[in-house]
Amino acid sequence: MFSNIKERFISAIAPDLPPLPGAGERRIGAGSGHLHNSPHQRLRFGGSGSQPLPDKFPYARPPFLQLLTADELRASADHNVRPIIVPRDINLLPWGTGYAECVNSGKSEWNEDQGAFCRQVLSDPEHKHPDLPYTYFGIFDGHAGYGAALAASHQFHHILHEKLVDCLELLLPRDVDPSSGGGDGIQLNPTFPHPIYFQRRVTKDELIIGALESAFFNMDSLIAQDNDRYRDAGGCTACVSLFIDGKMYVANAGDSRAVLCQRRATPDRQQTDTHSSIEPDPLEVSCYPVPFSADHTPETERERLLNVARLKPQLMGQHYVAMEYAKRPHIKDMGQRILCRQGTMRGWTYKTLTREDLRMPVVNGEGKRSRLLGTLGVTRGFGDHDLLAINTGIQIKPFLTPHPDVRQRDLTQVVCISDEDNRDGDYGVLVMATDGLWDVSENEGVARIVFQTLSKYPTEKHRYTMVAQELVARARGKINDSGHWRLADSKAAATVDDISVIVIPVSQYYKEHVEWTQNYKRDLEHRRRQAQANMAQEAVTVLNGVMAEEAQVVEEEEEGEVVVHEARTSQKPQQVEDGVDETLVVELAPSLEQVQLKDKDSAAFDIGKKDNDKDKEASTTRQHLQQQFQKGRKGKGKH
Amino acid sequence: MSYAYLFKYIIIGDTGVGKSCLLLQFTDKRFQPVHDLTIGVEFGARMITIDGKQIKLQIWDTAGQEAFRSITRSYYRGAAGALLVYDITRRETFNHLTTWLEDARQHSNSNMVIMLIGNKSDLDSRREVKKEEGEAFAREHGLVFMETSARTAANVEEAFINTAKEIYEKIQEGVFDINNEANGIKIGQQHSPTNPSLPGAGGAAGAANGGCC
Repeated sequence: MFSNIKERFISAIAPDLPPLPGAGERRIGAGSGHLHNSPHQRLRFGGSGSQPLPDKFPYARPPFLQLLTADELRASADHNVRPIIVPRDINLLPWGTGYAECVNSGKSEWNEDQGAFCRQVLSDPEHKHPDLPYTYFGIFDGHAGYGAALAASHQFHHILHEKLVDCLELLLPRDVDPSSGGGDGIQLNPTFPHPIYFQRRVTKDELIIGALESAFFNMDSLIAQDNDRYRDAGGCTACVSLFIDGKMYVANAGDSRAVLCQRRATPDRQQTDTHSSIEPDPLEVSCYPVPFSADHTPETERERLLNVARLKPQLMGQHYVAMEYAKRPHIKDMGQRILCRQGTMRGWTYKTLTREDLRMPVVNGEGKRSRLLGTLGVTRGFGDHDLLAINTGIQIKPFLTPHPDVRQRDLTQVVCISDEDNRDGDYGVLVMATDGLWDVSENEGVARIVFQTLSKYPTEKHRYTMVAQELVARARGKINDSGHWRLADSKAAATVDDISVIVIPVSQYYKEHVEWTQNYKRDLEHRRRQAQANMAQEAVTVLNGVMAEEAQVVEEEEEGEVVVHEARTSQKPQQVEDGVDETLVVELAPSLEQVQLKDKDSAAFDIGKKDNDKDKEASTTRQHLQQQFQKGRKGKGKH
Repeated sequence: MSYAYLFKYIIIGDTGVGKSCLLLQFTDKRFQPVHDLTIGVEFGARMITIDGKQIKLQIWDTAGQEAFRSITRSYYRGAAGALLVYDITRRETFNHLTTWLEDARQHSNSNMVIMLIGNKSDLDSRREVKKEEGEAFAREHGLVFMETSARTAANVEEAFINTAKEIYEKIQEGVFDINNEANGIKIGQQHSPTNPSLPGAGGAAGAANGGCC
């Protein structure tokens, strides 16, 4: 019967097409979480025909789970038992990061979620700057196939890495001491404009956010490019976190979610410890979630979707209407007044019902049941390039976007009193999970379970894995005698979807950053000393040959200068870092002089200024000297 | 490789009794003296032959720690056989058998075959539980009993295979409903041509099989 509907439906939308090509090129949405729970169809037009296309990546679970054999894969996808899979080697993930997953109850043969992580280092090819390490985690919830999520888990971090490398020179800390050879940071690459020439202020934050955003777009295009060569990948959501330079960034497209679970260090807690009196669970009141992403569903993105429909009505064909009705219009109501709102209206108004109003709204349903074009329950992410709407065959992709929203947290600004022993509470524990978890869990409840579980296992190496496992176990629930999955603490339905959870101890990345900063400063100091030694040597060599008389003066002055610079750096290393690292400033050229004045104190911009305006300001002896030093260096470099 | 039946096993018992080592010895024929704690569940598989029929054993090796108990309980469902393991050199692991057995009986299907295993028989000098005690416990609760050593591989093969034989007999007697996968038995491709295969391996057949109507 099912195939009957299918055939009829196909001939309705594409009567001229030959019979369906191989099974590999079609998907029947058997109630995949994001898809409407009825048959829908994807077709590849102009496909070559009978030969099914290969998978780009063979189906697998995330490598850190080490489910290497087909037998293990098969066992992990047991829909009757839904085993909770955790990494068997805890050391494969950084800092004891927790991970747990569980397959759906049978709506798709395989777990269509994927997780990924990567620890990488951004290094300056000329090794003039210390390496900048970063850590990335990603979670991808696939629908209508596992291909897109699998591709994203394999490829996204490579794209992101490229994007970060692209702006490497602006991200790497600048060597702020002029005596170390002046504008190394500036002259690093002559073709790359120094931020001082930018028309706008561009912060490091914006560079990293931009890297994430553009990586999302590239990932989506990559899946589009592979569309003709490989089996239809379906689509997926993407939720990504990036820890870099003492900050945490979360980029999300779709209905997976990242929540930072925090806990206040409450005085009650200490009291209970000492008096051990009976008090309400302090975790109840002290835990709180901070959302780090917003879900993108037809309901939350109603405005954007209706704008797309309004601007390009042809995308709706003759099948949809960009309206919302207080009550579903019926043919018998024709000519009567009905409460509705048009396009992106917030309030409601009356209109007289016409035939057009009987078309399906672009967005219908509410909450988790809201659907775009009656088909899709998620509105951002990768893939879905071939997805057609149920019953109408309208292309859905133009309504979708891979654009993520990106949120950021500066870990260096977190206040954490070491005596309180509340690092996880202060810095937070980042829980990233697919909608399998969030469909049946509130953010508050998740935050509570995080800290309950952590306090249950205060020292275990795998305590964050225990958290992830506990969260998955609760969302999956238990199967009852009639074969339905129910939550343990109520009769409510548990999720039947795939569930994946990553639990990240954020404080570790602050610790890592502090260590890195210390190493970096040591390294910098070392470089400086070396540079100074070299420069003095060079100066002597150069000046000896050129002007023997002046050379003596130079040496004396040079020594004096070293002292000045050392004093300067030791006085305010923090300030220098703030001024330079945070904002790679950048004003319009006419106000250049102003900038120079403003930044008179900043050593870094001292260099820039001198370097750029050499001709103008080469009147003082100091300037003169520096120029000569640089000439000397350059000269030496050429030999 | 095709099989006539797939039997699902679960290995249970206190932490440190050698569950993972038994599995490793059976599937890989090797012994790993230092084994990390099992967190959650691990899987193993091996093909055996009974009565001329290829039978695949899919074995779920569970974490023994108390903290995992509530999660491992959910794995009893859908197992055709269970190996209940204690350590002959640690009496408390023997004393806990009753709790394990209650758990297993409560959460599994009633036909599940349970094999009682006293592991580490190579450490006879440190023995705390007599073989006769194991035998008596098994008799009392209607279990099959065997002492094994994952280190020397003694009786390991037999433990897994004898359990399979028992399950196979029950199938022949018609005790098991083999069409209900929740009983831990699956009919292989030799019997059912529509058995889903791994994607990639079986071409496009796998992914389109998403359990609809």
